[in-house]
Amino acid sequence: MAVQELELKPAVPSSPLLGFWNTFKKNRMAVVGLVMLVVIVFIAVFADALAPYDPKSYEGIQSGDVYNAPSAAHWFGTDDAGKDVLSSFMYGARISLIVGFFAAFISIFIGGLFGIVAGFFGGRVENFLMRFTDLMLVIPDLPLIVVIVALTRPNLLNIIFVIGLLGWTTTARIVRSQTLAVKSRKFVLRARAIGAGNWHIIANHILPLVMPILVVNAILVISLAILSESTLSFLGLGDPTAISWGQMLNFAFGRGAMSAGAWWALVVPGFGIVWVVLGLTLLGNGLEQVLNPRLEAHHLMPGRPTVQTEPVGDESASVEHKPTKRKESPLLLDVRNLSVNYVNEGVVAKAVQNVSFQLHEGELMGLVGESGCGKTTLMMALLRLLPAAGEIANGHVYYGGRDLAMLTEEEMADLRWKGISIIFQGAMNALNPVRTVGDQIREAISKHIPNYPPGTLEERVVELLELVGIAAEHKDHFPHQYSGGMRQRVMIAMALSCNPQIVIADEPTTALDVMIQAQILELLDNLRRKLGLAIIFVTHDLGVVAEMCDSVLVMYGGVTAEYADVDTIYNAPLHPYTQELLKAFPDLSKPERKLTSIPGYPPKLNELPPGCRFAPRCPQAFARCSVELPKLHELADAHFVSCHLVENGK
Amino acid sequence: MSRYRFLLKKIAWSVFTIFFVLILNFFLFRVLPGDPARAGVKDPRMKKEAVEAIRVRFGLDKPVINCFQSLNPIELGDCAVNPFDTQFFIYLRNLTRGEFGISFHTNRPVSDVLLERLWNTILLIGAGQILSIIVGIAFGVFAAWKARTTIDYSALITGLVAWSLPTFWLGIILLFWGSNNGFPIGGKATPGTSSYPFLYQAGDVFKHMLLPTLTYTIVFMGEYMLVMRSSLLDVLAEDYILTAKAKGLSTFQILKDHALKNAMLPIVTIIAINLGFTVAGAIQIEAVFSWPGLGGAIFEAVNRRDYPVLQGAFLLIAVSVIIANLIADLTYSYLDPRVHSE
Repeated sequence: MAVQELELKPAVPSSPLLGFWNTFKKNRMAVVGLVMLVVIVFIAVFADALAPYDPKSYEGIQSGDVYNAPSAAHWFGTDDAGKDVLSSFMYGARISLIVGFFAAFISIFIGGLFGIVAGFFGGRVENFLMRFTDLMLVIPDLPLIVVIVALTRPNLLNIIFVIGLLGWTTTARIVRSQTLAVKSRKFVLRARAIGAGNWHIIANHILPLVMPILVVNAILVISLAILSESTLSFLGLGDPTAISWGQMLNFAFGRGAMSAGAWWALVVPGFGIVWVVLGLTLLGNGLEQVLNPRLEAHHLMPGRPTVQTEPVGDESASVEHKPTKRKESPLLLDVRNLSVNYVNEGVVAKAVQNVSFQLHEGELMGLVGESGCGKTTLMMALLRLLPAAGEIANGHVYYGGRDLAMLTEEEMADLRWKGISIIFQGAMNALNPVRTVGDQIREAISKHIPNYPPGTLEERVVELLELVGIAAEHKDHFPHQYSGGMRQRVMIAMALSCNPQIVIADEPTTALDVMIQAQILELLDNLRRKLGLAIIFVTHDLGVVAEMCDSVLVMYGGVTAEYADVDTIYNAPLHPYTQELLKAFPDLSKPERKLTSIPGYPPKLNELPPGCRFAPRCPQAFARCSVELPKLHELADAHFVSCHLVENGK
Repeated sequence: MSRYRFLLKKIAWSVFTIFFVLILNFFLFRVLPGDPARAGVKDPRMKKEAVEAIRVRFGLDKPVINCFQSLNPIELGDCAVNPFDTQFFIYLRNLTRGEFGISFHTNRPVSDVLLERLWNTILLIGAGQILSIIVGIAFGVFAAWKARTTIDYSALITGLVAWSLPTFWLGIILLFWGSNNGFPIGGKATPGTSSYPFLYQAGDVFKHMLLPTLTYTIVFMGEYMLVMRSSLLDVLAEDYILTAKAKGLSTFQILKDHALKNAMLPIVTIIAINLGFTVAGAIQIEAVFSWPGLGGAIFEAVNRRDYPVLQGAFLLIAVSVIIANLIADLTYSYLDPRVHSE
């Protein structure tokens, strides 16, 4: 973004420019590349002053000077004509850079023009231009360049034009796709709506946004042009009057440097090419990282180990949640004082703090709260699926007599899916696009139940699919052939495939239409009754919670706001956040009530308020709230609330 | 159904491209100054009758194409001339018969010269491609898996450096080193060994191939590694990898069954796009190591101004690249079920 601003207002050294420079500075690759280039450009510009000898003159050269080894007089030795290699190297830098820059300029101009015109105008123009680009892309460059240069006179201008006229294809493609992406942005549409001309829009709105990508691509094109020139010269098609690095190599290689053992005549010019190309490559790669930062974090990076810091002071309110409604059914999952941190470059963000809850067989627990309150993080921590930056800072997750927080990765892998499975939020990409649906279900079963009778494995897959209402014939289809709702059902079938005791459903119905949502929820509820599953249901939808859940855990800013059975939460909520959430939700029994939403947003995890997390938005907040984090108070009937008001009321 | 249409479209496009290259090849050599046949005809030592004989033999007495007697210098001609009696048609007819003309230098038919050389090039490129793809992918996978560690950074830097090396220069350096360390100094076989037993000859060729293949591998490995690394990093950040992990699969299983195939897709594209560079690399390597391939033929033809060989080699290379490209496209469609349903 910074560069675009830079292109728009080059005269004003505004903060975007500074911002760009600051990010750029931090990228070691880009800085090293830039320095390498500055050095070589300096040498090329000041070759006259820097070079110890004039490579064009034969003055003072004697017959014994051919291929002399490096010495004080000739730092890099002499070449086949007795000339100083260092001096030729310095002048050669000029030729290589001139060809590289000018040829690349031609390529960038043509490629940029084709790309923008094709992307902007679309239709037949685009079709024709891109077909032509494809055509040129497939014809091998170097042989064509060689043929054309061999048929014309090999002088510098010809070489520049031939390399330039054939090197634009990748630029055209990249610029076109960027133009396509940019042209539907709002301000472009707006400019068009007020009647701005096409070329005006291109020059003022499209070009600045295409520029950063074009610059990165230009750097690549320059390095390719320099490589092409040196290759041409090496093959004997260089301009004999302009000695480039490639030409030096051609002379040395063709005129016996090899047999004379004159490594300096071979190494030095090649080193120059590598230096420039590597400098450009580093700068290009660095710039791309700056303009287009990527986290480079992925799901297979080793997670951080569980820390178990000692719980501190007020925040440590340990909860012994006693089973209330479903005392008769056995306890499955007992989460105690679980805290999760995200650690990024030494900065710690407290995503979840001291959350405790219990889950019994057949229980359906609702986990509610706005986005960014730590719900998903909590669920990921249970399964130890936190991203690489996440760590369990404290707490225990007891399941089947073991503490999941302390298991090794292998033990955890065995337990996942068989004990606890998860249905992810938005299953659009949760299925592998290149494997069939049936295959992906089968895989889970054979992993956890290795000696599943092979003949019945197929039946089991069909059975699971039918359980979620998908006909057996769709088994061998790929995920892209499924609708969003069907994919979500496949996720559910997959989550049930190994008969888990607990299923975590993380907003399983977001992004689906209402009818499908209802079907899927009903399905989950039925399965729970039929199979005796315990389900943790993460959602925004309080209606669903009221209808289906046994208990509800309300989270805010990473902490428990309120935790109780569903009737208590709906009929006697004590935490102002729960109360506000309920006010924002329509109640059919009180149609006259006005819906109100809570102003503001949940706190950012790295800027948590010092006192109660909800204090800044709380209508009932008083002085103490912004100073002191409230304890989690247990009221009668296993009703937990973290609010100072509760304390005052008692 | 859609799959066949997809195949048909791709094949039709390749045929069109080949036809374009044929036409380009014809006009390139007639518009630009160094007309192949004219260059040979202009030799002052030749007798007038001999020149005329060559002109007739190559059909140079005929107009280049309808309306043009010659294109360099431009000389208008009869537009009503029988199109089958023009140089352009004779060129196409000769091509269908596999005739690329006669080499100025060796006086042998170009097609004979090039055909044996084509196999040598395929041998070299094949060995180099396979090695560089295997090594590049292996390093790329390892770097991505160990993302943001020292292993990853060193792999990244190695890849960038390898990418920046000019192929011919790396070849020179390796040849320089090899010639001092007992490696053969070039060519495909030691002269005078053609009557030796087959195994000895094969071993000899293998020894000659080592350094050219190493050069090829180092240069191309870098790019495959960088592409594989970045592609795998993208794939490993996908939701379906998290699903696979949540399913309890081991890291090895996830890499093997869920990540590699998906991450390979861009590699197939890159291999296709790179075919042009592959050929460029082969030309340089063959020039340095005197490997008797198509690239070497181009190098020699340029230095001897042997235009028929140059023309034939260019045509053969271009057509091979187009066909290889088609194969890569079809492989891609086989690997990614989404392609032909879009």
